[in-house]
Amino acid sequence: MSLLTVSEVFGGYGGADILQGASLTVASDEIVVIIGPNGAGKSTLMKAVFGLVRLRQGSVSLDGTTITNLAPDRMAHHGLAYVPQERNVFVSLSVEENLEMGHFIRRGSPRAAIDRVYGLFPDLAAKRRQAAGSLSGGQRQMVAMGRALMLDPRLILLDEPTAGLSPKYMDVIFDKVREINRTGTAVLMVEQNAKQALKIAHRGYVLQTGRNRVDDTGAALLANPDVAQMFLGA
Amino acid sequence: MADFVSFYLMPGVVLGCIYALGAVGLTLLFGILRFAHFAHGDVMTVGAYVAFVGVVSFGLTAYQSIPLAILVSVLLVMAIDRTFYRPLRRASPIVLLISGFGVALMLRAAILFFFGPDGGVYEQGIRRPMIFATEWGRFRIQERHLWIIGGAVALALTLHLFLTRTRLGKAMRAMSDNPDLARITGIPTERVILATWAIGGATAATAGVFLAIDTQVNPMMGMNMLLPIFAAMILGGVGRPWGAVFGGLVLGIAEELVAAPIWGGQPLLSPAYKVGLSFAVMVLLLIFRPTGLFKGQS
Repeated sequence: MSLLTVSEVFGGYGGADILQGASLTVASDEIVVIIGPNGAGKSTLMKAVFGLVRLRQGSVSLDGTTITNLAPDRMAHHGLAYVPQERNVFVSLSVEENLEMGHFIRRGSPRAAIDRVYGLFPDLAAKRRQAAGSLSGGQRQMVAMGRALMLDPRLILLDEPTAGLSPKYMDVIFDKVREINRTGTAVLMVEQNAKQALKIAHRGYVLQTGRNRVDDTGAALLANPDVAQMFLGA
Repeated sequence: MADFVSFYLMPGVVLGCIYALGAVGLTLLFGILRFAHFAHGDVMTVGAYVAFVGVVSFGLTAYQSIPLAILVSVLLVMAIDRTFYRPLRRASPIVLLISGFGVALMLRAAILFFFGPDGGVYEQGIRRPMIFATEWGRFRIQERHLWIIGGAVALALTLHLFLTRTRLGKAMRAMSDNPDLARITGIPTERVILATWAIGGATAATAGVFLAIDTQVNPMMGMNMLLPIFAAMILGGVGRPWGAVFGGLVLGIAEELVAAPIWGGQPLLSPAYKVGLSFAVMVLLLIFRPTGLFKGQS
């Protein structure tokens, strides 16, 4: 049975619906990637899962519990974490304080969780006292992902984690995504770098005008000539 | 030299401490709620009058009345937030500004209603200053001035520790930094807002009592503080607590020093123009450096 089930959702930012019946599932051990042209509603779908975009119709459920339109500040309590594409760190807080905030809803010391995140991102341990705003783009992305991982979520939503990063950091981030997945967290991500993302993904969805166009395994999508022509620049 | 310190610098530092306590609450509230709390001065007045009741009705000293003033003011601002500001959380800043102005009028009217327009003092008679004879001259220091400075420093350090060492304090800084991310992270924003009101109410009440200890209680006292504390907040960069403390000290000291006969035995500026100084600072800052001396929110 799948961990996340999104079925036929409609909704948007108040005007016309951006999401027009999109559906997807993520199993508890999967990396799932959403690709598609600009304006297809990829990020909107992600935000809708996290309660940041109001859904007019359709449903979202996590492990059998309906979480449709639940307030975003409740999502963490259900084991769901979200990393926005932009403004995804507290710039005036130190790296370590950013991580502590990720643990806020839980009583008790965040120490063990912080050490686990430093284990995954050793770069951050060296910069623990620095303001997150002073870091490079790639390191900020690590802080943002680290913050989201503090509660050991069942599913992490990543909105274009490699946008604007140098090729070197892109590879690092994709590696870390695999590592996060190996340690038992399901991953749903939106990516512009479709080719690389599909290589590490178990499955992928191609979204167009707010609904599914193709869904298949990552390898099959890479091999699909239509998809290749449209999104992979082949 | 001794006269300069005794009569100008020391009173300037004291006034600066009072401005700093007012401005620090204002700047924290702005950081969290994104609105300029116009009733902040009148919360100071309320604090001063609660202590006045403590002195007159319960026989406490003004210093002993401070916890009472804090308690009443904190409960009051929390109730005001629930009643007037919370329903307007998503309204435009102008609407909130006007509602803050309305609250300010209500508080002042309530004080006039219960206590009349005349004001009063905590302690009758004249207190002689403590005299320190040193090789640089005879310093005359009012004991109350030492208490006020000590109290303000203690409060500022406590606040600093709260903001940098505690979970809730860090969450407050996080929310001021990036409210959307705070919500995504699961930080309970309404609880952070209440905590911010508690700090704003406590610092404003203390500032009010200090001001009244140094001068007198008066229904207009807080209203008169509003301009300098706004200027202090902007000077230090909006949303930055230490900036507000710095801004308050600078303005307080500057206001006293401009009246000092530094050159040729004449005051630089007639004391009547003191208030204009804050206004001038605020206007100049808004024109040339709207984010304050230390980069704050605009």
